[in-house]
Amino acid sequence: MASKETEAQKVNRFEGVTQYQDLTPAPDLDQKTLNQMAWRSCFLQASFNYERMQSAGWLYSILPGLEKIHTNKDDLALSMTHNMEFFNIHPFLVTFAMGIILSMEQKKVDIPTIRAVRVSLMGPLGGIGDALFWMTLVPITAGICSNMAISGNIFGPILFLVIFNAVQFALRFGLMNWSYKMGMNALDYLMEHMKAFTRAASILGVFVVGCLTVTMGGTQINVQIPNGTTEAYVAKTAVVPTNDVKKFEVIKKSDDGKDTTLSGMVDKDGNALTTTDSDGNAVTAGSTDLGNGMSEVTYMETQETPVTIDLASILDSICPKLVPLAIVMLLYYLFAKKNFTPMKGIVLVLIIGIVGAGPFGLWPSIWG
Amino acid sequence: MEYSILQVVLVFIVTFIAAIDQFSFLESLYQPLVTGMVIGLILGDVQTGLIVGGTYQLMTIGNMPIGGAQPPNAVIGGIMAAILAITLHLDANVAVATAIPFSLLGQYGVTLIFTLMSPLMSKCDQYAAEANPKGIEHINYLSMCLLGLIFGTVVTLFFIGGQSVGQTVVNAIPDWLNNGLSAAGGMMRFVGFAILLKFMMNKDMWGFYFLGFALAIVVSNISALATPGLLILALIGFGFAYWDYQQNTELGGATAASMNDGGEEDGI
Repeated sequence: MASKETEAQKVNRFEGVTQYQDLTPAPDLDQKTLNQMAWRSCFLQASFNYERMQSAGWLYSILPGLEKIHTNKDDLALSMTHNMEFFNIHPFLVTFAMGIILSMEQKKVDIPTIRAVRVSLMGPLGGIGDALFWMTLVPITAGICSNMAISGNIFGPILFLVIFNAVQFALRFGLMNWSYKMGMNALDYLMEHMKAFTRAASILGVFVVGCLTVTMGGTQINVQIPNGTTEAYVAKTAVVPTNDVKKFEVIKKSDDGKDTTLSGMVDKDGNALTTTDSDGNAVTAGSTDLGNGMSEVTYMETQETPVTIDLASILDSICPKLVPLAIVMLLYYLFAKKNFTPMKGIVLVLIIGIVGAGPFGLWPSIWG
Repeated sequence: MEYSILQVVLVFIVTFIAAIDQFSFLESLYQPLVTGMVIGLILGDVQTGLIVGGTYQLMTIGNMPIGGAQPPNAVIGGIMAAILAITLHLDANVAVATAIPFSLLGQYGVTLIFTLMSPLMSKCDQYAAEANPKGIEHINYLSMCLLGLIFGTVVTLFFIGGQSVGQTVVNAIPDWLNNGLSAAGGMMRFVGFAILLKFMMNKDMWGFYFLGFALAIVVSNISALATPGLLILALIGFGFAYWDYQQNTELGGATAASMNDGGEEDGI
């Protein structure tokens, strides 16, 4: 137990630290290191998980650069710690973010600024990457190459691999070099107004987390609360002898003798009953004489249907995505005010998930 | 039909690599188009492998991992479709349909692994705090091996055990467990968000969080903006951030009087 506490203290010792000890900018990263990191970026999702998503893979990818930049061991630990926070970006465009963050690490920019820029980068690249790869490159190349394969051509799969990877690696290496140089140039200018830049980056970062709460928050509950039953008329038709039509006018009266028509063709004032069928068309009760002593009657039967209140639609009518927002707020409260560790947060979420799903069929699942 | 030990081992290795490749490495080797051909080579029927791979690939084109969604798993599905077509002499379309339960099983497996890997991140935090790059590397290698092993084992068992085993296993997993794990998996990202907020949030920043939240609801309900949505949101956010930056720098002169009153507290 004692050793565990010291481990936790070790992780926590960086809380509130906003600056590196050694503030001298590190020398530029050489091309070899940049290339090595571009290669490593292929393993961004190696340890993908639902809590931090790509964070460990992200740290793995930029480690060669971080080790060159932070020669002070405490600074390296600090840098690694804040780079282990939640991260998720499009896997093929990640080197763009790597170049910018590395240029900031190299200039020893303070940590809240680096964090804010890193979080901001999560926003725009996902959509661009999906549009570029999953909705354009893959459907076109895989579509053509699949048809080659179906006709028995072994070059189908090979052609697909060549095109896809040529684009992928051109992007990985190109973006790495470009964004690193761009970051270095932009920082020279931005460093003049560091305080204003940090604030602006934090605004964008917090804004992006707000967006992600909606776009990545799929959690919805599906609870139906029973709320009695409702009675509705259902139209039926039948062909009967014309003399029997009268019998269909009123099928049932209530027991206490009041003239409430529950089913039949007319209400207590003699007006024809109306309803709508399943296609939404109006149907009016009545009879048509077919001329051969028979009549076609349209009458109504009452049908009881249970009424439920759908909790999700009520929540959505207050504000959509209320459930994700509530969980984020709850967890924020636990982390910021109650000193919860991430591990406790995960266990809590796991319990909520399993209990909500109705373990062993004890109750219906609340997850929609 | 009997297959040699070598073929079983090769199928295992191919699945091992494809399982890792679906998230890391080339992210293209795992496509059914490719695995179909490779399985065909191993089992000695390249033609069938190519046809089944192509057929399966066409089916998955509308089923891409857009926005991090988790579609029925193409790795197990693609490999099993090729195996079934070749061993049972099934028609390509029938083989693809028969492989669907396997792809669902792969999807369950991925959900399980992504959930189980979450607690391991605390170990990474510890390695980071010790400035131990080797530790971070090992966790990444370990998770890739784990993913490959689980997928490899599952496919090898089905390769030996046959098609009925797949359906039995799918039926044996209780719905509540699968539902609960997917729900928990879907919520775990909120842990990551909340920790980011803990570090980034100041009292004067809450407005921007809710601004992002509200604008994202508006944008995500416009179906025409499904793909460019996040980019549009980022541009809006950039607009606010840049305006704030200008207020504090270039335009600072114009508002110098007000800056002197309480300007210092604007910073963080």
